[in-house]
Amino acid sequence: MSRWRVAALLLLVALGAGVAPRAMAEPYLAIQQGYKCGTCHVNPTGGGLRNDFGTVFSENTLPQYSLPSGFPVWSGRVFKFLRIGADLRTSRSETAAPNLPSDRQSGLEQLRAYANVSLIPDRLEYYVDESLAPGNARPNEYYGRYSDPKHGWYLKGGQFYLPFGWRLQDNTAFVRELSGIGMTTPDRGFELGLELPEWSAQLDYSRGEANISVGSGHQVTGQVVWIHNDWRVGTAASFTQSVFGNREVEGLFAGRRVGPVALLGELDLIRDKGFPGGERRLTAALAEADWAFHKGHNLKLTAELYDPDRSVSNDQQARWSAVYEYTPIPFVQLRAGLRRYRGIPQNDLENRRLLFLELHVYL
Amino acid sequence: MRLRRLVIAYLGLLCASLAGCAGSGAGLDSNGRPIGSEGSGGTLTADFQSIQANVFTPICSVCHAGGAAPQGLRLDAVNSYSMIVGVPSREDPSVLRIKPGDPDQSYLVQKIEGHAAVGAQMPLGGPALPAATVAVIRQWVSAGALPAAAAAASARLSVVAAAPATGEVVLAVPAQIIVTFSAELDRTSITPASLRLERIGEGGSGDDTEIPVRLDVPMGNSTALLVTPRGRLIDGRYRLSVSRPTGVADIGGRTLGFDAEAIVTTFDVEAGP
Repeated sequence: MSRWRVAALLLLVALGAGVAPRAMAEPYLAIQQGYKCGTCHVNPTGGGLRNDFGTVFSENTLPQYSLPSGFPVWSGRVFKFLRIGADLRTSRSETAAPNLPSDRQSGLEQLRAYANVSLIPDRLEYYVDESLAPGNARPNEYYGRYSDPKHGWYLKGGQFYLPFGWRLQDNTAFVRELSGIGMTTPDRGFELGLELPEWSAQLDYSRGEANISVGSGHQVTGQVVWIHNDWRVGTAASFTQSVFGNREVEGLFAGRRVGPVALLGELDLIRDKGFPGGERRLTAALAEADWAFHKGHNLKLTAELYDPDRSVSNDQQARWSAVYEYTPIPFVQLRAGLRRYRGIPQNDLENRRLLFLELHVYL
Repeated sequence: MRLRRLVIAYLGLLCASLAGCAGSGAGLDSNGRPIGSEGSGGTLTADFQSIQANVFTPICSVCHAGGAAPQGLRLDAVNSYSMIVGVPSREDPSVLRIKPGDPDQSYLVQKIEGHAAVGAQMPLGGPALPAATVAVIRQWVSAGALPAAAAAASARLSVVAAAPATGEVVLAVPAQIIVTFSAELDRTSITPASLRLERIGEGGSGDDTEIPVRLDVPMGNSTALLVTPRGRLIDGRYRLSVSRPTGVADIGGRTLGFDAEAIVTTFDVEAGP
């Protein structure tokens, strides 16, 4: 048994969990390479544990420097039927807002472990994504997936992240906060998916995050993406039925590769009847450019818009970010960024500025 | 090459336009709502109404509201009190979100202080609440986590919210109807006949059917009343009303302030077969 396998098994035992971490979900990589999410990830909708190709990509294409020849190669595969992985993020940040003292925070942001057990090769798999820190361990995703590789469809059941728009690593992006569907809000239900060479589609029936404390209601989510080598366009919709008020979200998103630059855009329109004052119509939009100007280096620029109520004038918020991502060696990434929020002048927090530095280690 | 320049120029213009789209705030309060439409913040004090206006509404309810509220926790002005005081946390059900008199054992306090057993510090992605703000919330919890002073001082008990709300069409059979009152209820005043749930006859024929229900006041949150039908509700229009002879009273002996109609909510169920 190789050292990697021994180390992986020790990690399993030490963590006392099924396995490894939350994967980095960065759709710009898929656009830059012309890949589908499932090209690099075990999950066809992306994020989380990487597959064989994704691991090789992480070792050889992403970093500026490769490991010395002869260095053990990490494949994530512990046994023929078991694959594991992990994500660790630690960060230091400073937030400044008008009329408020600066807020500095540092520490472990997340430690996740992932595992994928192949019960019937290429047919039946069981996947686990467990948060190990901070705080107590808790499951993010755990589901079984039955696939028909010949025809491209699969059926997933359990707890998982719903598909909707770009699966961004930044969960605080307006489009992820407003849609209510991101990598902080796993849901329980079923997903029927279809993965064809140029198409990716999902239909989900789930409980709905907002219905957790109510015990009734449901959420239906659907997404279709048309994928070409240089561009892709997709649409998504979600309907949540809740005793507190129904919610509808429609999204349109697209990506385009232009040389070393990946361009992403998303527009989400929301109609929510769950507010005390009645129905609100909200809008969130994202424009992002990722410039991989040198191997291992990426500059990410984003501009976002959030309208919390389209029937109210002068209440829009904007956010723009500049983030530099440096991947010096395989499985290690440094991120430094500035986010600037703009909102109504009478709300100090809507006009804050965030500086952050992050270390991301992943397997 | 030309296409590349065009796309980059387009993106630059888009970024500039988006970043310049922040609202002027004219005619709005500090929560971004039209002036006069909702309570304004004022100075933060250890009173629920003040905490709601200065913390929960402007900061927490940006995410914790509406049909996608994380963990099903709604911190808008109507729902927040009944959803936090005496209610077990979903992330750690052994801890109440707010345990009156004990801020250290209140999950919401733990979350905003960043030492809860599960998950990240709140507000997620934003700066931590200032120590002075946390101290005020702690003070409110230590003092018993009482409801809004204005509601408590009202001459009459009133219904603050009901879910499903009046006029709402629900597409899944509701397991419970939740009614939130303006003050803590006197549990002894609640009898099986205090509230009446009826299925309204077709076309207002007057052929109404009473649905048996169970009434519960959740432990630790005596401003809420859970109305649980003793059977599955079939499609149709329903009316929940207070039985005038028995009614509901709060711990101060005040009764509901209905002048004419004692209807709490009327809603439709369209769940299908």
